[in-house]
Amino acid sequence: MYESAKKIYPREIGGRFANLSKLATIILLGLFYVVPWFNWDERQAVLFDLPARKFHLIGLTLWPQDFPYLAMLLMILALSLFFFTALAGRLWCGFACPQTVWTEVFIWMEQWTEGTRSQRMKLDKAPWSWNKLRRKGSKQFLWITFSMWTGFTFVGYFTPIRELGAEFVALNVGGWTLFWGLFYGFATYGNAGYMREQVCKYMCPYARFQSAMFDKDTLIISYDETRGEPRGRRKRSVDPKVAGLGDCIDCQLCVQVCPTGIDIREGLQYECIACAACIDACDSIMDKMSYPRGLVRYTTEHALHNEGTRVLRPRMFVYATILLILIAGLTTSMATRTPIILDVIRDRNTLYRELPGSMIENSYTLKVINQNDQSRAFTLSVSGVEGISLDGVGDTITVDGGGVLSLPVRARAHRDNAYGIMTIQFNVTAVDDEDVNIVEESRFLGPTP
Amino acid sequence: MISEEYRGAKQWSRDKQAVFTVVWISFLAAAVGTMVFFALFDPVELTGIFDENLDIGRDAGYATGFFFFWALCALCSGVTAYLVRTAPKRDAKHRDQ
Repeated sequence: MYESAKKIYPREIGGRFANLSKLATIILLGLFYVVPWFNWDERQAVLFDLPARKFHLIGLTLWPQDFPYLAMLLMILALSLFFFTALAGRLWCGFACPQTVWTEVFIWMEQWTEGTRSQRMKLDKAPWSWNKLRRKGSKQFLWITFSMWTGFTFVGYFTPIRELGAEFVALNVGGWTLFWGLFYGFATYGNAGYMREQVCKYMCPYARFQSAMFDKDTLIISYDETRGEPRGRRKRSVDPKVAGLGDCIDCQLCVQVCPTGIDIREGLQYECIACAACIDACDSIMDKMSYPRGLVRYTTEHALHNEGTRVLRPRMFVYATILLILIAGLTTSMATRTPIILDVIRDRNTLYRELPGSMIENSYTLKVINQNDQSRAFTLSVSGVEGISLDGVGDTITVDGGGVLSLPVRARAHRDNAYGIMTIQFNVTAVDDEDVNIVEESRFLGPTP
Repeated sequence: MISEEYRGAKQWSRDKQAVFTVVWISFLAAAVGTMVFFALFDPVELTGIFDENLDIGRDAGYATGFFFFWALCALCSGVTAYLVRTAPKRDAKHRDQ
């Protein structure tokens, strides 16, 4: 299936943007591999504990009931992507996308084992030999080891990684854990080792619709055609103006370094992931030729045509405003979040019971969830009907840290006050902090008046 | 010219594009679907509805759910891609506009 795509051998290039992307790769992947090893309060600081249905994020524990936070977070991330795309083009693609970042590391390994671009091309054309086997073999060894470690780390976000490490060493990893580890590891191997730019070109939805966020003031990487053309080779000593040439010496370096195999001089193309390798390449040549840098550079369409570029434009304000509202909403709701959940389930089997002394009784099951990590005492009360009280439960209840307490209770009221369908409120308040309280409504049924 | 050499490198076959795109996009959709679904429902409680004695555990529940969603989404986008690509040729000029 791979024959139809000719392999791209991106040429290695140093420079400002290469350093920047190296830095981004090291920071992002460094975080990915290191974060699961940090502990907080005797447990893993970041752990998406799916078996227990709890997410631990440093000091915060999130429950399935907190799903709206996740939804909001995803919306914020999507909108930030819009914002940064409109502002600075495909920054995400070039420096932060996992596809780019892992591909970069895989290319480093390729360079360590198989050498430079021309060496790699020669090696692939050469017949099998001991040297080729050794080079290809060590590349595969590095790739596979790194992929396995990646898969292991990925699973380590869902299963405590230290225990996982011990199981791994003892070759005693559970079935699903092993499966997902291999799954993620294999995906990394395939995506970063083989599919590379094809993922961006054919499979990535963002690459196709990002142009919708572009306008003439968006930062793009572009070749300055007016300055570069007519392109042509020349000796260093030749003055291009005299020879009737532009600044492009047609050295093809910008094409050779491109990881997606395009020619930036043909204009903005959707295959361009804005990695800026061509800028580094061209700048190095301009330096050699003693021409000013920036024949290929970050610019905007307006700037290219000598029209003013505006950073502050309506599109930016719209994205920024929505983004700020969402962020403010998320922070406020997280900050004011009460770490208790109360579910009230009315007993459906009986409408109500009449007790001696003209009392009416309804039964409920309360589910009290303590989202804190420490055990906590709460007072429980009921209101909404005059003289209503609870039976079968003490003044305070204690719920374990991260625990769920299922509590059958009976509410009673005098029949003079309880008739028809009435709304009552259950109130759970922490003993140590009155502000930590939650109210949940339910129905109280009595005889028809 | 090197750029000429690359020109041949630009294409995956149409079939390959379709297969990989379908697999990948349905993977993403299934991941979102699984996340939302299991935030609302606990697999342990769900299996209890079908058979009280069925006890497959959460890990297996999540995995089953995820692959179910993936298969469903792949089926949907696969059939869509197939139909779009194999529409009667006569309509091609409208389709490509």
